[in-house]
Amino acid sequence: MNIHINGKAYALANGHPISVTAALAMHFIEPQLSSFAVALNGDFVGKADYDNTLLSSGDSLDVFQPIQGG
Amino acid sequence: MSLSIYGQQLQSRLLIGSALYPSPQVMKQAILASGSQVVTLSLKRQNPAQQSGQKIWQYIQEVVQQVDGHLLPNTAGCKTAAEAITLAKMSREIFNTQWLKLEVIGDDYNLQPDPIELLKAAELLINDGFKVLPYCTDDLVLCQRLYDLGCEVIMPWASPIGTGKGLMNPYNLETIRLRLPEATLILDAGIGKPSDACLAMEMGYDGVLLNSAIALADNPTAMAQAFSLALQAGEQGYVAGVMAERQTAHPSTPTLETPFWHNS
Repeated sequence: MNIHINGKAYALANGHPISVTAALAMHFIEPQLSSFAVALNGDFVGKADYDNTLLSSGDSLDVFQPIQGG
Repeated sequence: MSLSIYGQQLQSRLLIGSALYPSPQVMKQAILASGSQVVTLSLKRQNPAQQSGQKIWQYIQEVVQQVDGHLLPNTAGCKTAAEAITLAKMSREIFNTQWLKLEVIGDDYNLQPDPIELLKAAELLINDGFKVLPYCTDDLVLCQRLYDLGCEVIMPWASPIGTGKGLMNPYNLETIRLRLPEATLILDAGIGKPSDACLAMEMGYDGVLLNSAIALADNPTAMAQAFSLALQAGEQGYVAGVMAERQTAHPSTPTLETPFWHNS
């Protein structure tokens, strides 16, 4: 009954789905504090949808940040 | 003369990457010295709570603001259209720009773009409102297809990323210029020396995108200036009109009445 955030496993309390906002909080991320974007199971989730997008067991959330690039 | 990218006028024809510099300070100095107003950057999976990527992002923001420039996020590391589209949408949200350097890699050895996935991704992204700058091989038909899809800017490679081998196939690149006179052509990847950039500009290319050649130079700031001058020289040479190449020698000094007995 786990979800994964950037590859790290987190247990869901009683197996209940949680929102992207709640999942980010588990990973110590506050959406308003820094520049980042997320993908749920490889698909983009916009900031406006964080509260109403749910993660269930087996889901993977990836958090991306700016880095240098060519 | 200025470079136009999707209607944005830019004073410099050089687009510069933000990676591989010895330090963020050197990166900033080199970008300023280059005169470029377009800086590429990327996204990486990491936890914002750790703050590890914040400093470099702060430097990039500062320098782009200072030159009244533009961010050009790339999709480096993507191997499928689906991956590139997800990364593109994340970039658009973070960087608040429709511009995208679309990169879909098909081979791990030479980091050659995958033309099929590239076309697929370009079409979907254009339909979603992105201003796509595709990084592609020097294949005329591929460039034509990308242009027909709506890519106003096409970025064929000079040679594989980071090799510094320069223009591997000048004939292909010249043919693309000849056959796509209306496209904005930016030579991207594989540039090693300022003379490579100059050559591209002499061919009539609209600009050059590079990173390693500046960042890995002994003195990145001085090399950035050298590239800036090389692009100016190449552009001016193209505008001035290069003489036609000839198969045989022609004396430049008039031979009539030269003071030697074998002229008689």
